[in-house]
Amino acid sequence: MPNHRQNTFMHPKFAVVGHPNKGKSSIVAALALDDSVHISNTSGTTTKKRSFPLRVDGKVLYELFDTPGFQRARRVLAWLEKHDVSADKKHEVVQAFINEHKEDARFNDEVELLEPIMDGAGIIYVVDASKPYGEEYEAEMEILRWTGQPSMALINHIDDTDYSAEWKRALGHYFKMVRTFNPMQTNFEQHMSILESMAQLKEEWIAPIKVSIKLFTQYQEQMFESSASLVARLVYESVSTVEKLYFYTQEASEEEKGKIERNYKDRLRDFEISTQKSIEEIWNHDHLQKEEKVLTFEGMDLFSEETASVFGLTRKELLITGVTSGAVTGAGIDLLFAGHTLLLGGAIGALVGGTGAYFGFNELSEVKVLGQTMGRRYLEMGPMENRNFPYILLGRAMYHTMKVAQTSHAKREVFDIEMDQTFKEKWLDVTSRKSLEKYHKKFRSGKALDAVDLKAYEALLNHILRHLIDG
Amino acid sequence: MNLKSYVDLVALLEVNPSSREENRAFGLTQVLLKNRPMAQISAWIDLYHNTLKRPLLSETFSSYLYNTTLTLVLMAFVLGFLSGLGLLSYNGAEPVNVIYFMVMVIVLPLATMLLTGISMLRAKSAQSILVHLSPAFWMEKMLSLLPGKIQENITAFKISPLLSNWLIIKRSQMIALFFSVGLLLALLAMVVTKDIAFAWSTTLHITPEVFHGFLTTVAFPWRDFAPSAVPSMELIEQSQYFRLGDTLSKEMITHASQLGEWWKFLAFSTIFYAIFLRVTMFFISSFGLNRALMQSFLTLEGSMRLLKEINEPMISTHAKPTNAAFVSDDMGYGQIVNTLDASYDSVQGWAITKDEILVLSDTIEVITPKHFKVGGTNSLDEDDEVISKSDGEVLLLGKSWEHPANEFLDYVIDLSRKVDKIIIMPIGGSENPYDIKAEDLDEWAKKMASIQNEKVWLKLSTTKLQSGGV
Ligand SMILES: Nc1nc2c(ncn2[C@@H]2O[C@H](COP(=O)(O)OP(=O)(O)OP(=O)(O)O)[C@@H](O)[C@H]2O)c(=O)[nH]1
Ligand SMILES: [Mg+2]
Repeated sequence: MPNHRQNTFMHPKFAVVGHPNKGKSSIVAALALDDSVHISNTSGTTTKKRSFPLRVDGKVLYELFDTPGFQRARRVLAWLEKHDVSADKKHEVVQAFINEHKEDARFNDEVELLEPIMDGAGIIYVVDASKPYGEEYEAEMEILRWTGQPSMALINHIDDTDYSAEWKRALGHYFKMVRTFNPMQTNFEQHMSILESMAQLKEEWIAPIKVSIKLFTQYQEQMFESSASLVARLVYESVSTVEKLYFYTQEASEEEKGKIERNYKDRLRDFEISTQKSIEEIWNHDHLQKEEKVLTFEGMDLFSEETASVFGLTRKELLITGVTSGAVTGAGIDLLFAGHTLLLGGAIGALVGGTGAYFGFNELSEVKVLGQTMGRRYLEMGPMENRNFPYILLGRAMYHTMKVAQTSHAKREVFDIEMDQTFKEKWLDVTSRKSLEKYHKKFRSGKALDAVDLKAYEALLNHILRHLIDG
Repeated sequence: MNLKSYVDLVALLEVNPSSREENRAFGLTQVLLKNRPMAQISAWIDLYHNTLKRPLLSETFSSYLYNTTLTLVLMAFVLGFLSGLGLLSYNGAEPVNVIYFMVMVIVLPLATMLLTGISMLRAKSAQSILVHLSPAFWMEKMLSLLPGKIQENITAFKISPLLSNWLIIKRSQMIALFFSVGLLLALLAMVVTKDIAFAWSTTLHITPEVFHGFLTTVAFPWRDFAPSAVPSMELIEQSQYFRLGDTLSKEMITHASQLGEWWKFLAFSTIFYAIFLRVTMFFISSFGLNRALMQSFLTLEGSMRLLKEINEPMISTHAKPTNAAFVSDDMGYGQIVNTLDASYDSVQGWAITKDEILVLSDTIEVITPKHFKVGGTNSLDEDDEVISKSDGEVLLLGKSWEHPANEFLDYVIDLSRKVDKIIIMPIGGSENPYDIKAEDLDEWAKKMASIQNEKVWLKLSTTKLQSGGV
């Protein structure tokens, strides 16, 4: 009995095969969320089959194989045809071909790609429909037919030209199912829908793939939650962190004051960088190459009004935020158009809240001199008093997370994180700003973090992220 | 869950002793702990406890806490006892004014408990001002001035303000409790060993009736079951003492033994106000500390992640990492022709139909006597036949977007054995054979470089388009 008969009760396997350079590895990378797959414009990039199992707690639910492209299809087909037998024995001839050519360097690619198929894998035949159909594909499809394994075709478009009509006609002769999939712009639904199609290849695969789809949903949930909790932590730590610098003289020198400020800012930047790294890891984008402006504090920076209006809040908006979180009455709107009204009307709370926001705008956090006793004095900086800061940080983190979550694992170009003006409107509306401000205020207060608050803040961020990413 | 395990957890999370897989395996095997995060964390701590460096910070820390607390408690006890003795010392000339002792065991405890209550409410703040009033706080400040490595370790370990506030609150309750116990023992000791004449005296105009009413109120917790511990009106009248009047009234002296009855009231006051209420405060602060610990466990960076790792299924989709990185050989190809000749001995098309070859030859203005289709649906024998018919210079057309596979290279090598020169020309779509992408040409050049055959040339440039086109 050949292998694949015995293996029918194992987990579903799928071999992604096709002509060289048609996006097989890209499709596998996208489906397996693996950004370490070698993808390049050179044909013959993949030379060895590689397994991408979906594992849950160590148990494999299904397995996807990336394979090299056909290099000598006609020669293989000629060999098979020379050993022609009746249709029910054809797969045995393919197995015989593999056995005979295992050590033959000429057929390395074919052996590699046929092995998982003969091991029971369903066939996912990838073509690039941005190029015209050509007769050279027939030999490959014929070989695949010899294996007797269930198969489907997946149409990819490497560029914008479209020859899918002629492709569909040709593929229709060989494959029962023809689907279109773009590995570069995939989203969760498309991903799941391809999985569903793959399940159709064999009846006994439907159930395990259903389970896999559920798991993917759960996996995505985990990613969102972990991201939200990392971002929440980033904001909390950055806002509440306190930098200390001991000095032993009577008074701190200018140099020491500069140093503490530098240390403080560096620490904030480090928080951001390491959070971004962790978020990339969560979304399996460990290899992401990105081009991004670091969190800067000078020039076109975090605290310039220009940046503030892009990433965070403008002075005006801050005023509203400050007012609404401090006010008891709705007098806040009057305050916006300040002038004399500012002094005339409005509750005291609103006045204090609003003006506080206004004046807090340009300050980071003042340097305090503390610990006068015992001869050990220290400078202290933090918690972050700038009210705009958490929004800038959040805006950047949200943007980064969104980009990372939406980037296909098949992308290999440098990834540009350049936020545009419209992003703020996308993530921050009046209601979420109000609810966020409540927590930012707590973070600033230097009070111990409350587990319930943290959870609620995370949930809020999760909600915003969902909205941003799922649209 | 106690402070010790909290400190251990902090230390463990820092060294990160287990992988994600191990944490999940832990979660799967410890089925009984499912949905009990605290129990899971403490079991996890136990499991990895031995990976921590000795001496354990938690042990140093708790023994330090224990020692300072013990010292403070002993001091408080002695202090309480001594002040009790001082307050009750009776020189035989002047009676002992119960008001002093009452202040010590009723007013002072109530006042400090009020402060404690306020600090409990404010324990969340980074620095609760009221905490600074606690002797425990200052004792620690003093101790932290002492040199020593242990001190360094302890100060390096930053305990959250919430926790330290609650720690100080709780320990202050213990200290105050032992102070009160000292007072009570002093009272009992004095009562047993001496015959004390108690009296009450105040500058304020308080009549014995009012005072009696006040004391009855104060004695509300025990007046029903221990009526003898509530001074009677008679006793109060008898024991009022005026400093400015005659030193001791006759009456007082005659009732000296009765005046001793006061001690019961004082003892009960101490037991209830200074001890019972304090013990209650102590339990409240214990509860508060536990809650603060719980909060700290749950807000500790990493503990949530740990719980997630333990409880959430570990899903992975990626391949095992390989170290066989792909090395792209960015070789160009040396043998390049830029312009085509006017004629060739044959024009061949790889996987291009004969009709298309004819059209293409026309477009690129090449004359040839022989057109052959090779590759594609041809059988290998048919290709061999083409080779046998080929000679001289061959122009071999290929679809530029279909980068040459090995099969194509095989053919080129076979053909090169038969002919003198092969010009390989990647072509664009049939509308414009010169419309070729530079990246595609690079890929062709790379493939050609891999066979390195001096008979094989690659037509690279698209100059024909510029000179011949339009
Ligand atoms: N824009 C775009 N480019 C794609 C798409 N799919 C593949 N590519 C590109 O096409 C090239 C080849 O992709 P690969 O995934 O390496 O193709 P392959 O079939 O695995 O190639 P071999 O391993 O060499 O057989 C790469 O440069 C990809 O970036 C797509 O849907 N859109
Ligand atoms: Mg590949």
